[in-house]
Amino acid sequence: MNDLVVRCRGLTRVYAGEAVPVHALRGIDLDVRGGEFVSLSGPSGSGKSTLLNLIGGLDRPTQGTVDVDGVRLNDLSESELSDMRLHKLGFVFQAYNLIPVLSALENVEFIMQLQGVAAAERHRRAQAMLEELGIGELGARRPGELSGGQQQRVAIARALVTDPVLLLADEPSANLDSATTEELLKLLRHLNESHGVTIVTATHDPMVMAIAKRQVKLRDGAIVEDAAAAAEAAARAE
Amino acid sequence: MPVKLLVQLSARNLLRHRRRTLMLLMAICVAVAGVTFMSTLIRGFQYDMRESAVENLTGDIKILAPGYLDDPSIEHSFALAADWQPDLPPELLDGWAARVKVPAVIMSERETRGVQLVGIDPEQERISFLADARYQGERLASAADGRVLVGKALAEQLETDVGRRLVIMTQGADGLNREAGFRIAGLFDADGTGLEKAFVFTGVGALQKLLDADVVTEVSIRLRKEPVTGSVMKHLRSFFSGLDVLRWQDLEPQAAAMFAFADAAVFIWFLIMMGALIFGLVNTLVTSVMERVREFGMLRALGMRPGAVVVQVVLESTLVMALGVAVGVGVGVLLTLWLADGIDLSQWSQGVELAGMRSLLIPRMELADVVMVAGLSLAFGVLASLYPAWRAVRVRPLEAMRR
Repeated sequence: MNDLVVRCRGLTRVYAGEAVPVHALRGIDLDVRGGEFVSLSGPSGSGKSTLLNLIGGLDRPTQGTVDVDGVRLNDLSESELSDMRLHKLGFVFQAYNLIPVLSALENVEFIMQLQGVAAAERHRRAQAMLEELGIGELGARRPGELSGGQQQRVAIARALVTDPVLLLADEPSANLDSATTEELLKLLRHLNESHGVTIVTATHDPMVMAIAKRQVKLRDGAIVEDAAAAAEAAARAE
Repeated sequence: MPVKLLVQLSARNLLRHRRRTLMLLMAICVAVAGVTFMSTLIRGFQYDMRESAVENLTGDIKILAPGYLDDPSIEHSFALAADWQPDLPPELLDGWAARVKVPAVIMSERETRGVQLVGIDPEQERISFLADARYQGERLASAADGRVLVGKALAEQLETDVGRRLVIMTQGADGLNREAGFRIAGLFDADGTGLEKAFVFTGVGALQKLLDADVVTEVSIRLRKEPVTGSVMKHLRSFFSGLDVLRWQDLEPQAAAMFAFADAAVFIWFLIMMGALIFGLVNTLVTSVMERVREFGMLRALGMRPGAVVVQVVLESTLVMALGVAVGVGVGVLLTLWLADGIDLSQWSQGVELAGMRSLLIPRMELADVVMVAGLSLAFGVLASLYPAWRAVRVRPLEAMRR
């Protein structure tokens, strides 16, 4: 799989600061192809989360364009963006963000419910996904009854159960201990290598960066290192 | 829109904060039960007032000679055939009574009072308060009975009693005074109302003889159904051409105005109670929404449309309101059933008499009132949730999740 899943051109995001405007992103160009595992890294304030949010349609650029799976997000209304996130994207958040009043299984079923998948079908798929991630026996528990690592697995199950075009993970290991992080990373690598899931993660965790196939480093709102882009540029030069 | 999911989320969010939901439910229950029960009291007061007005010899419809209202004397009377019957269907007609009612002076050995002397046919008076009044002594035997029925309160004023004689003076059809002695057949007790002092009854035949006039001054008609329809009035006006055919509202305008005001009072009372409740409901919902801004942001980040978030908040309000309304109406109905025999207001008998009521207030439940309370409460619940729902979707997902 190497079709273009994400295409960013001249992406700029300026926030209105208290005294002066804050330039979170300064003209980013980024392509992500299907099956890639990309880590966006850099110090705090470098713009990695902002870039992830723009790709996920959670924020709108001040300038530039974002295309996801061939759809230009700039042109979509709030409701259309909701539909885009619902049908094409999977999110894994730093704070897990599970719905506290639903069980683990219901959390995994949640997006399928929004999509209108029939009850029996979504139950079967959700249970299968929990089992694949090794927490099949925890389906009846609510988030408050699960450990951090278990909650993050439920969040990943929820993100992947609908076979999204792209999995976006924002600091997925930030609240996990190193042993649990290692398990999570094995899982992400497995999903990427065995299932061909395209993953873009914003992180400053070296363990996460280490397993990503492609590392994109940002500083002050600009890409300062992207091995794939450099190789592509070199190839074009030859 | 996944309605089942939204209902599930709303219900579980309500259960998540059990104490808060319980407090809110109790507030709704108290307000709705209060409004439901209070409306039954207002209706009870309203219909008691109407019954008092109608039974006060007025009837639903009264036929009078022109000019009688301005000068209620035998001069403004009309003849009625002995075998006359109102030409109304039996399912509509409850009863009727033809009377002679003239002003008179009544004298005992010790006191003198001005009264309305009413000639009646006792058989016909089942439509007036005389049917339910309590008696000391005897009732009148027939239309020809030449004895009198005196109110208990009037008898006390006149310092007289059953079996004693009274002298009554009134004006005959020829304009000359008539004076006759009457023996008291009995004293009627009309729950201490002004009726006891206002009216003295004798047989209509005896009074016609005294007045030397074979006429009546009024025909009072009671109907089984209300309100009086235009077709009934048209029919009677056609039959009694040249006479005044009046509804009870025309004859008792003050009671009619109070009757109409009671309809508004039910609604005003509802608005006051619900107004107070809505502020509490909005406050609780806003608190609940603001606590979950991050959660709403996450739901939207996952793909829930803004409209679905609005529906979820509205559903939460509607669910708690529906439960509160159901329990509140139930409590209101139980309270009404518990007090179905009436509330004794005899301690304040003079005050309630002034308001045109009897001393026993019987709650009256009307389905339309219950439906209005339930329906409007739910509508208010939905309205109250719109602002919190707007607050929930106003924040963009990213901003919400950063909180």
